Amino acid sequence: MEAIRDAVDFSDFPRTDLIIAWMVAVFFLVFPLFPHSSFAMATMIQFFMFALYGMGWNTIGGYGGQVDLGKAQYVGIGAYTTAVMLIRWDIPFWFSMPVGMFFAVVWSFIIGYPLFRLKGHYFAIATIATSLVLKDLFDVWSFVGAARGLEISPIEYPPPDFLRLIFKEDIYYYYIILGFFFLGIFYMNWFRKSRLGFQLRSIKDNEDVARSLGINVHLAKVKTYAIATAFVSFVGSFHACYIKNIEPVDTMSLDISILIALMAMLGGAGSLWGPIIGAGVLIPLRSYLKEWLGAAAGLVGIDLVLYSIIIMLISAVEPRGIWGIVEKVRRRKRR
Amino acid sequence: MAFLEVQSLTKTFGGLRANDKVSFSMERGELVGLIGPNGAGKTTLFNCISGHHPVTSGRIIFDTEDITHLKAYEVARRGMARTFQVYVASGDLTVEENVMVGCFMRTRSRKQAKARAGKVLKDLKLEDLSHYLLSELPVAAQKRVTMATALGSDPKMLLLDEVAAGLNTAEVEEVMASIRHVHHDLGVTVMLIEHVMELVMKVSDRVIVLDYGEKIADGPPEEIARDPRVIKAYLGERFVREHTGEFR
Repeated sequence: MEAIRDAVDFSDFPRTDLIIAWMVAVFFLVFPLFPHSSFAMATMIQFFMFALYGMGWNTIGGYGGQVDLGKAQYVGIGAYTTAVMLIRWDIPFWFSMPVGMFFAVVWSFIIGYPLFRLKGHYFAIATIATSLVLKDLFDVWSFVGAARGLEISPIEYPPPDFLRLIFKEDIYYYYIILGFFFLGIFYMNWFRKSRLGFQLRSIKDNEDVARSLGINVHLAKVKTYAIATAFVSFVGSFHACYIKNIEPVDTMSLDISILIALMAMLGGAGSLWGPIIGAGVLIPLRSYLKEWLGAAAGLVGIDLVLYSIIIMLISAVEPRGIWGIVEKVRRRKRR
Repeated sequence: MAFLEVQSLTKTFGGLRANDKVSFSMERGELVGLIGPNGAGKTTLFNCISGHHPVTSGRIIFDTEDITHLKAYEVARRGMARTFQVYVASGDLTVEENVMVGCFMRTRSRKQAKARAGKVLKDLKLEDLSHYLLSELPVAAQKRVTMATALGSDPKMLLLDEVAAGLNTAEVEEVMASIRHVHHDLGVTVMLIEHVMELVMKVSDRVIVLDYGEKIADGPPEEIARDPRVIKAYLGERFVREHTGEFR
């Protein structure tokens, strides 16, 4: 009961935040009703997906301070589970999604248990490595289509199929992912106030102190890693139904892993709004940059250059991202 | 059986014997000072007791239970809290949130943790600082907050590692008041490492002295102050030879 009350209680934020949040929420709800290009629609859906990825990453990476650059492997597990089950056995999304989550979480324990013996850069590098290894395995595994990947290709589009999540119009995907986006915010709002949330922030601060306060540091990290994984795997399953065409090279690439971490880091790691702000800045930027520059001028790598600049700026100017700047200004004003 | 019993505790780092067959015991409700020159092995001894360092040999029995090989968080859950000598507060936790982390050891409920944190902060007269970030505070206040955090976990015993180092006289008074409160009013058994002799001699029931990893003295503060071995450890052989008359 207390958990639900905590999840919907945003009263510790200043009123300006809440007014802005409400306005943005209303905008999200009515956006599809106004005339818009299909490109804008796709960008919005991408935004929600990456905001959710970022929220998941934010649990372990933001609150826990464990820089995880291997989230793409869990995107892959979620996406492939849903796609394989749908194509081979016609199993609907609502069943395959939790199954994918289960696989992903089990895999996260297998990976997380040894990896969390490492710290700092070593941990980050190890997560990259495990993710790339899994990608290579999927690249040669014929059961899941190997390098060609899988395609969910409905011969004809029936009326909206809410069970399998197969729609012709993007608007259905939009509202489904929007619903989960709001759920994600409520979850994170609970998480940041929960015991685990506090324990992680203490771990980020100083692990020895955390231990002296009765916190099983290793277990807390592994648990949170599993939570982050569940988020990512869910979006992966959604991705399979939405994109309908998954191959290791784009679903499980290092780019995705880095982008997921970057969402939260740019917006503000360890804050509730951070990943949303980060996704709100990066996803439109990425989509439109690709659209305007990438294809036209042959500048395919420009988005990567941009990410690197952002990473450098974050580490040099304000490690806590955009939200960190906002909070700094507020603290200064208060005095 | 004593409340805390350390039996022949040895801790080596490679060839260095940081603690060499240290034995002592403490009764419930005692306040014991642990002193010794720099590098004597005081913090190492704390780290061994609190489970932060694996012990090389020897035994530690706390409240009738052998805790020698328990991990730090397991020792903490059995009621042994501690503070740290060098603590760089870098994070974004406020004072209240810090103390809540301690309180969360005994409860899952945020409401209970918050209520308890409020009480502990009030007891240590820190309630005005609740909403500051720990990193914003001066060192003296930070040290008292770390005490409060440790107390949040409702310990039976508290190990304090140099809570008064680098503080001015007025601040030492504040810390001393906090220690007395913890010891007298809350009935917590306390062991403290301290270089500020004024504080150690005033608050301790008993003082243990370490030098080069070995226990060289153990007794009431007045006795310790006059013990030639202790003076030698602090001031050197020559000083003792020249001044022996005065001290005896």
